[in-house]
Amino acid sequence: MFQLHCPHCGATREEEEFSYAGEAYIARPANPEEASDAEWGDYLFMRKNTRGWFWEQWQHTAGCRKVFVVKRHTASYQIAGSWTLAEGKAHYLKESEA
Amino acid sequence: MPNFQPYLQSPLVNFNLPAETVPADSSQQVRANELPLLGYIAIRGELADAAIAAAVSSVTGASVPAAGQFSTGDAGVLVWVSPDELLLVTRRAELAQRLAAFEAAFAGLFAHAVDNSGGLTCLSLSGSEHVTVLRHMGVYDFESLAVGQAVSTVLGKAGGTVLRLEDDGVFLIIRRSFADYLWLLLRKVCTPYRFAVAKLAESGSHPLLRLLDKQHAAPARKAVTA
Repeated sequence: MFQLHCPHCGATREEEEFSYAGEAYIARPANPEEASDAEWGDYLFMRKNTRGWFWEQWQHTAGCRKVFVVKRHTASYQIAGSWTLAEGKAHYLKESEA
Repeated sequence: MPNFQPYLQSPLVNFNLPAETVPADSSQQVRANELPLLGYIAIRGELADAAIAAAVSSVTGASVPAAGQFSTGDAGVLVWVSPDELLLVTRRAELAQRLAAFEAAFAGLFAHAVDNSGGLTCLSLSGSEHVTVLRHMGVYDFESLAVGQAVSTVLGKAGGTVLRLEDDGVFLIIRRSFADYLWLLLRKVCTPYRFAVAKLAESGSHPLLRLLDKQHAAPARKAVTA
């Protein structure tokens, strides 16, 4: 059990109030009409299975029902922070560039 | 000939709470009762938008509450749900009038108000051990819940919104479909404490109790006339 900070409620709550909503920021193929079956299949079905820092989505199901992003270490369960989807994207992009 | 006329009834009608209700006194450590058949209006719209906030305030007479809080006004109690949703608890009899007022105020705005009265009900929980009871039921740190806060959290296997209007007790806004489960859970949790289905305090100018329709409170069922 751990606690998560919901950026919409501005409150830190127990994990029990949240639902896991999968990997964050999976980019949709820019031009779906021209994407190959392999590309489209990767987008739909392939997920990372990272050991280490991981960007994931959580939904505050018992509270505001909003989805937000959390950067969490999948081995140590350390949490670097949580952001709204829009705010988190900037951090995510900066990190993936580096 | 069966009666097919629609009627209004509390989700806890089968527990027959009015028959069990006793006057509140200081020997009771936990007191609970239902506030049946209030009106609930879900308001959707970006609350950060000043025009939408102004429209909500003009209809309800209450300011838009900050995150995790509620505010009170002429129309009733306005509860913050999420950055784009509010819940207005109002008199059942005033529903049509409120919805019409919202529709007029939201003209041209990306916002709307919907009657959600069929989906929710409200419980009152008070007494010296009411926080202990809440702690048995949910994971939230209920000791930290201050007057003016409205927290939506997990209660047993269901969800609920806990409103603290005064130090002595809280009000729970719960789903009608889970009312039966939550009432049974509450009764079980209260076993070690001196529990009573207590008469609700005199409404007076209380922001929530004054919304109770006396006609509705007495009989558990009421024919729908509209």
